[in-house]
Amino acid sequence: MNNNWQTVIGIEIHAQVNSKSKLFSSSSTEFGSAPNTQVSLVDAAMPGMLPVINKFCIEQAIKSGLGLNATINNKSIFDRKNYFYQDLPQGYQISQFKDPIVGEGTVEIDIDGKKKIIGIERLHLEQDAGKSLHDQDPNMTFVDLNRSGIALMEIVSKPDMASPEEAIAYVRKVRTILRYLDTCDGNMEQGSLRADVNISVRKEGDELGTRCEIKNLNSFKHIGLAINFEVDRQIKLIENGDKVNQETRLYDVSTDKTRSMRSKEDAHDYRYFPDPDLLPLNLNQNWIDEIKKTLPELPDTKKIRFINDYKISEYDADVLTQDKSISEYFEDVATNRSTKLSVSWVASELFAVLNKLNLTIDKSPINSKQLGSLIDEIENGTISNRAAKEVFEEMVTSEKSVKDIINDKGLVQISDTTEIEKFINQVLIDNPDNVQKYKDGKTKLLGFFIGEVMKVTKGKANPGLLNQLVKKKLDN
Amino acid sequence: MLKNLTIEGTAKLLKDKKISAFEIANSYIKEIKESKKLNCFITISEEVAFDAAKKTDARISENKKIGLLDGVPLAYKDLFCTNNILTTASSKILSNFTPTYESTVTANCKSQGAVVLGKLNCDEFAMGSTNKTSFYGPVINPWKSSDKDDELVPGGSSGGSAAAVAADLCVASLGTDTGGSIRQPASFTGLVGLKPTYGRVSRWGTVAFASSLDQAGPISKTVEDAAILLEAISGHDNKDSTSSLKANEQFYANLNSSVKGLKIGVPKEYMSDDLPEEIQNFWNDGKKILAKNGAEIVEISLPSTSTALPAYYIIAPAEASSNLSRYDGVKYGLRVQEKNLIDMYESTRSEGFGNEVKRRIMIGTYVLSSGYYDAYYIKAQKIRSIIKNDFDSAFKNVDAIFTPATPNTAFPINREEVDPVQNYLNDIFTVPANLAGLPAISIPFGLDNSGLPIGMQLITNSFEEQMLLNIAKNLQDTLNFNVQPTQWWK
Amino acid sequence: MEFDKNSTLKLAKLARLSLNDEQLDSLEKDLTSIVSFIDQLKEINTEKIDPTSNSLNQDLILRDDIAENKLSNEDLLRNVPDSELGFFVVPKVIE
Repeated sequence: MNNNWQTVIGIEIHAQVNSKSKLFSSSSTEFGSAPNTQVSLVDAAMPGMLPVINKFCIEQAIKSGLGLNATINNKSIFDRKNYFYQDLPQGYQISQFKDPIVGEGTVEIDIDGKKKIIGIERLHLEQDAGKSLHDQDPNMTFVDLNRSGIALMEIVSKPDMASPEEAIAYVRKVRTILRYLDTCDGNMEQGSLRADVNISVRKEGDELGTRCEIKNLNSFKHIGLAINFEVDRQIKLIENGDKVNQETRLYDVSTDKTRSMRSKEDAHDYRYFPDPDLLPLNLNQNWIDEIKKTLPELPDTKKIRFINDYKISEYDADVLTQDKSISEYFEDVATNRSTKLSVSWVASELFAVLNKLNLTIDKSPINSKQLGSLIDEIENGTISNRAAKEVFEEMVTSEKSVKDIINDKGLVQISDTTEIEKFINQVLIDNPDNVQKYKDGKTKLLGFFIGEVMKVTKGKANPGLLNQLVKKKLDN
Repeated sequence: MLKNLTIEGTAKLLKDKKISAFEIANSYIKEIKESKKLNCFITISEEVAFDAAKKTDARISENKKIGLLDGVPLAYKDLFCTNNILTTASSKILSNFTPTYESTVTANCKSQGAVVLGKLNCDEFAMGSTNKTSFYGPVINPWKSSDKDDELVPGGSSGGSAAAVAADLCVASLGTDTGGSIRQPASFTGLVGLKPTYGRVSRWGTVAFASSLDQAGPISKTVEDAAILLEAISGHDNKDSTSSLKANEQFYANLNSSVKGLKIGVPKEYMSDDLPEEIQNFWNDGKKILAKNGAEIVEISLPSTSTALPAYYIIAPAEASSNLSRYDGVKYGLRVQEKNLIDMYESTRSEGFGNEVKRRIMIGTYVLSSGYYDAYYIKAQKIRSIIKNDFDSAFKNVDAIFTPATPNTAFPINREEVDPVQNYLNDIFTVPANLAGLPAISIPFGLDNSGLPIGMQLITNSFEEQMLLNIAKNLQDTLNFNVQPTQWWK
Repeated sequence: MEFDKNSTLKLAKLARLSLNDEQLDSLEKDLTSIVSFIDQLKEINTEKIDPTSNSLNQDLILRDDIAENKLSNEDLLRNVPDSELGFFVVPKVIE
């Protein structure tokens, strides 16, 4: 790609508030119910129905705003965004236009160790639309309103990102923060978190180019692929002397391409105006302060603390704080135990198992207490690291305690000097040639003798002790 | 037939066991069926009515204490959603809509034992002041001019609600008032019509016209009945975010007709050479009565009065254009089937809405559209603030404001209309109270020279309905207006 | 503002109304007349005035987050013009 081109990316994240009921009605928000069974009279926009706002959703928006280092606006207004669509029963979406609940904030991302601040323009609350199914019938579209009216937080970034990597890092970071705050479950597969990506390109030093918006990206991979495709497309257009049209585009997962969604001449005029069914939302500063007090430690702070307290690398700290549950799991394990062992057992062994089984840490077959007691057995010398791996594998599928597994498998480490010496003596007697070679200066054979002892002890000899004793014997 | 029954009177008849609730209901249903010429009812809910009446009779025979509304035949403007009873808003687009729910207002009446006779014709989506915009045809005013045989409009939009009470087709009724839709028809039919403070009555389950202006209220023969009905339908409703948290009041029990020591303002901006002399005369009579009964009449100024009507014709259509977007043929109501969605929307809405509704949707869309929003919509909302301030200042000095209710009396249905704005002027005296959210009542004062009723209006400060009713009662008791239209329609 | 065929059609499109020529003609006239009526507000100075969108002077009432599904699919679809398998059905939409 031509190096003179710059990419400018801004992102709107739609994050579903993890409330039990919808933003303006008491229908359940549960995912996966039968079609049109979680639709109230309000959600279906029956004549005479009126919205009543969910307090919890407001709290969650405030919390999210605080987590994004943003200003909370003491007065905000709910507006109607008017347009016709089959999955928008009211003929308007209740959203916030001029006066959102949350104003400007910042998010810090980390690209190859380099930090960058991405500006947040605003966060506002709005209703989700219903879902349309186009593949049920050749001539008809089916509409399910279960999702209609669910509370979304729309988080609008400034156009501060310059690459797909930054875009992904940004979405990932916002997702992490929301999950820490427990305001959105971040489940992208179920659509709880979606991104609309605005992309434009320009030559260095030029003014901003015309942007296109790619709607509804629901995985990090798609965000990356869609941006790459779109940047290429726009550069090619301009280099061929054409113009980029400002438009909404859809990303097609089957082709990895974006295509135009709405034509220009059908441009919308949303006719925003304050919803006369709702009064302005005035937030008492005390309430905001109360919510502030409940904020958990956020990933950036936690990461620094992990680096300082546990003396772990930035990389490890990053991995261990990317998710609140992981960080809590790790801290459970690491408290009063070896940091090095804890990091390695959580970040390598456990993550490998979770990956393989496609599970999140909350569904881990081994809880932090169990993993902790495994590490205890290593630390107190009962089992070797190698034996621990065997125990660990058994723990994935077994309900048995660590101690029981060790006993049942006979994995208790031999740490008794006299006993180990007996095995060493035998090995030395069995291998007189190598003993001679060692004494003649081929000290690399030390490993051979240790290996032989391990063979006869079935790996149960305490490796540190064994090493020491073999050396002592041979050097005498 | 039962003539000129009031709620108070009906309750007394029932309490004294002079007649059963069923007999009353039956008599009214018969009367409704024989009065189809007036076109007051869109739906007659005979079975529901008889069922409710029988329940009242059972309570009476068990000597249970019954409330004032128990067994009283009412009818509702067809804007109130009624469970299992067709609710059309007088529009083709809802001509097949049967709600599965009951509006808070009618549910309140129901729970107090009221007998619902049916649903009353009105202007389509309450847009109009003649009742001529109804898909179900115009309602005809029971009153006729003594010198001409023309059929007259009952006013609107609650035309059916007014005509039905005036013609004794129900004891009292409920209407809605967005810019005068209760007070103007009440005035055209010689009745009491009350628009409560915005927020006093829940809007839940009432088909919306303009959300920030709509209020339901009673149309009745007497101020006492208005008090009874207002009390019945008021109160906080947690399903309506614009419902006031103020506690409900006992308007009926606390009625007190004294006006001694009250200061009553007469706004000079409401006086005009265009005002017919007879209306002017009744207005002057009213001032004299109030003064004679101990009130002090003061001339006041509401400087922005002339801006109210244009502001209203921005705000109401703006909200309506959005409120009526839900009628799209997808979830309920009329659908005109087409091959693609946009054609389906357009055909459905064009077929389903009448001309006045289309006009208002278009104007509302225009004033909200990009480039015009600030010049019209925001401007009108600022004017609303100014109007509210005018009233706030006035109420620092006076307890109530006294004006004519309408600039004219009932006019012929076939009056030629060249310009929609001509009809908009019907609301000139009523609209300011809606914009400021204030309670207002229209009370019958007498008949003009051609025998048509004329009403006057009282406005008080927010949530001062008790004072409004008290002053109205004072006027009512002094005037002693009790004339019925001649029954020509059967 | 004078409404012509184009501006009227544009509004009708936004409002999802289809109009025949006769309706267009009469709406052009009506809209022009209504707009000239509301245009009288342009004379009023409102520079320092805040807009009022609702006259009720009260804080927004907040609801507790309690989920309840009272409406059955059957009742939801009671008045539906077209439905299948519990869905609302509309003519094919191509995104």
